[in-house]
Amino acid sequence: MMDSQWHIYQVFEQERADLPHRNAGSVHAPDAEMAMENARDVFARRPNCTSMWVVPERAIFPKTVQELQTAPLARADSPSARVDLQSTPLARADSPSARVDPSPARVDLQSTPSTPETYLVFQKQGQTARETFVAHVGDVSASSPHHALSLALEKFSGKNVFVWWIVPERAIIKSESTDAPSMFDPAHTKKYRNHLSYPVEPIMRQLKSAREILENDGGQMTGDE
Amino acid sequence: MNTNALSAKLLSLANDSFLLGHRNSEWAGHAPILEEDIAFANLALDELGHAQLWYGLHQELTGAEIDRVIYFRDAAEWRNTQFVELPKGDWAFSMTRQYLFDGYENVLLAQLVNSSDARVAEIAAKIRSEEIYHLRHTSNWVKRLGLGTEESHARMQRALDELWGYALQLFVPLEDEAGLIAENVLPDLKILREEWQDKTVAHFLASGLIVPETLTPVVTSRAQHAEHLAKLLNDMQQVARLENFGVEW
Repeated sequence: MMDSQWHIYQVFEQERADLPHRNAGSVHAPDAEMAMENARDVFARRPNCTSMWVVPERAIFPKTVQELQTAPLARADSPSARVDLQSTPLARADSPSARVDPSPARVDLQSTPSTPETYLVFQKQGQTARETFVAHVGDVSASSPHHALSLALEKFSGKNVFVWWIVPERAIIKSESTDAPSMFDPAHTKKYRNHLSYPVEPIMRQLKSAREILENDGGQMTGDE
Repeated sequence: MNTNALSAKLLSLANDSFLLGHRNSEWAGHAPILEEDIAFANLALDELGHAQLWYGLHQELTGAEIDRVIYFRDAAEWRNTQFVELPKGDWAFSMTRQYLFDGYENVLLAQLVNSSDARVAEIAAKIRSEEIYHLRHTSNWVKRLGLGTEESHARMQRALDELWGYALQLFVPLEDEAGLIAENVLPDLKILREEWQDKTVAHFLASGLIVPETLTPVVTSRAQHAEHLAKLLNDMQQVARLENFGVEW
């Protein structure tokens, strides 16, 4: 039976050109193109988004520090430690979206490259509010996600790290800089999207006091409470 | 320039965007999936925002306050197309309507940004950047539903069959529009319709959907409304029209 649930994509948002992309949350989508649009609509409604990435969740190789402590990487070179790229949504042929034109971001994740490729390294560096995001810290060139993590452990271990995410660059769907004017910029001026621009609370208070005055005067206020 | 003619045009633009946004807001909390619930509500809010811009200039020209125009006018005074007042129908219907409207707005705004009236051009430029995204989003949905399952395809074809004749009303000029076209305030809707038709027919075809052959709008006068509008206005206006609340809206 075909799974009726859409695939999960992790969303990375960049607030300013000089800041790293960091994980904003996830969206469901039938394919990469719609994942990018859903990500935009769910996460870029408020200002300060300059660029967005979406990644099929299955393409992410995640490790927590606890996992690395209990199963050190040297012994983790088993099939289960490899990222499951075979069932990644981008390569699904049985979904309705596969009949749609291939999106520009369509990539073949089924082939396991023997030659090194670029992996992006993400870390969660703390537990306080500013640090709870899994953020992009740099790149390595490696022949597998596992290899990439071992390189990342050497290269990016300076700080306190709670979580590692390793993502092959070819699995990342990136917004184009030309998308910004229609995708991200309009949010800057959208006061009506901010709940603070609707004076609902003062109006409700006015209504309540108007009602009380009328009731005390034996007025003709009727209606449901 | 004929200010009355421009005011009438602004009111019709504002009424269309406003009512479509209002109709689509009925999906809030009911869309087929959470992400699209948010996305579609975003589009609806955008349409309300665009209406606000047109109403704003309309107010500048006529002195008619936005809230009075929206909440205290009966159906007979509205100048929207019947296209936007039709009930929301199923998801295919609402999505097809939004797509057709986005297509219309994109060809219209691409010309309005060059309007000889600087105020119109400025508003058009603001709206246009968002409408480019609207069209991208709804085009993608039309394609996926058109090429999706047997059921989604059938629902899309039914929606298109029903909506097409109503959509054509968007391209019926107002009575005094010719003067504004001559002064380059407005583009000629006849030319826009050809462009819109070429683009939408091609996209529907690529989505496995056939556009009906009819070339005649179901209705041409914006003063003529179906019973849907009165019902919608009754829901929307009743709180604002309640008396004795002592509230400034």
